[in-house]
Amino acid sequence: MVAIIFNTDGTKPIYIQIAEWLETEIMNGHFKADEKVYSQYQLAEMYTINPATAAKGLNLLADENILYKKRGLGMFVTANAKEKIINKRKNQTLKGLIEDVVLEAKRLQISKEELVGMIKEIEIWEGDQ
Amino acid sequence: MKTVECQDLTKRYFRKPVLKQLSFSLEEMKITGLIGRNGAGKTTLLKMIAGFIKETSGELKVFSQRPFNSLNVSANTIFVDDQMSFPPAMQLYELLEVSSKFYPNWDMDLAQGLFDYFSFDPKNYHKRLSKGKKSTFNALVGIASRAPLTIFDEPTTGMDTAVRKDFYRALLKDYLAYPRTIILSSHHLEEIEDLLEDILLLNDGRVKLHMPMEDFKEWAIALKGPADLVLALAKERELIFKNNLGTNSVYAVMKNDFVQDELMQAKAKGIEISSVQPSDLCVYLTSSAKAKEGIDHVFAQR
Repeated sequence: MVAIIFNTDGTKPIYIQIAEWLETEIMNGHFKADEKVYSQYQLAEMYTINPATAAKGLNLLADENILYKKRGLGMFVTANAKEKIINKRKNQTLKGLIEDVVLEAKRLQISKEELVGMIKEIEIWEGDQ
Repeated sequence: MKTVECQDLTKRYFRKPVLKQLSFSLEEMKITGLIGRNGAGKTTLLKMIAGFIKETSGELKVFSQRPFNSLNVSANTIFVDDQMSFPPAMQLYELLEVSSKFYPNWDMDLAQGLFDYFSFDPKNYHKRLSKGKKSTFNALVGIASRAPLTIFDEPTTGMDTAVRKDFYRALLKDYLAYPRTIILSSHHLEEIEDLLEDILLLNDGRVKLHMPMEDFKEWAIALKGPADLVLALAKERELIFKNNLGTNSVYAVMKNDFVQDELMQAKAKGIEISSVQPSDLCVYLTSSAKAKEGIDHVFAQR
């Protein structure tokens, strides 16, 4: 588990990729609360991977209460899955990315103010407002 | 249920030990990758499991029976490699027909479908096929036979990239629809790693590792950074591979028994942390003591 966040070589384990892809599908409304998601066999087929690997991706989301199991029926989206995903991405993914940015800024001896300034300058903010 | 079980399995050819006291078992309905360097004993092991050759000592059971001279094991097993022999007088389409009589689970529709997809000429002969085409035909027979124990020994020898991809996808699709026990040996772990549930790594006639592929992918971790810092962390752990970068930097692969905080601290000190490709890890794990520091070692001594 530990290696995931620290993966700096750009290649994430496939089961993580699957979990993230399902998260994105839930986020953009493709799967709604209490709807069934793909089975491990469907995912295995889609990605050309062993079904055990696909199951690991599904179980990861089940452990985080983004999905729940119905015995014999498959995996379903929990009621507050969206919220959980946003929280997770904010507190883990985004935080991790920011930590990387801060570390690199320190190496380059860039001050806090300068770094914040650089973040503010990024153009995509404009579109949001 | 275990499809293959062995205990202290040993094979010697003219007193030279090839397999040394192997003990492991393979669960049914799993795809296991048999990985090892040249001469590690992969083919010998697979041929013994298929019942082609006799063990020297120890115990081997396939479907709870000793495979050598067992009709039951033969009937339920197919062994695919690039030396598969077919009756030379028969044309390819006849070989498919004969196969359907040999293997009770044979799927003729699938065989025909693959046969057409790979554009085989029904009237051609197996011995006239090119190396890659031979492998493709053999692999086709291996998939369509749906044998409860399906063994592929280096099945992709000579196949081009497109065919290899198609073969692996066909194998996986058919496995999903009709689960069976599959053993797949290959020198190219990166090609098959996604397909595997378990990995069995042989080194010098012994089992080096046998674990779920997903665990293997996270079994080791690579640290890159100042030599003193990295080596201090490696000291308390099993160092698997080390490569010096410049004068005071080092890339070291070690067993991943870190807790998250330790990695956080290491990272803050400027150590780069990354995962290790399973194929690289296999190379490191099966290197001789001399080769631990890589091929560069040879040049450093001159």
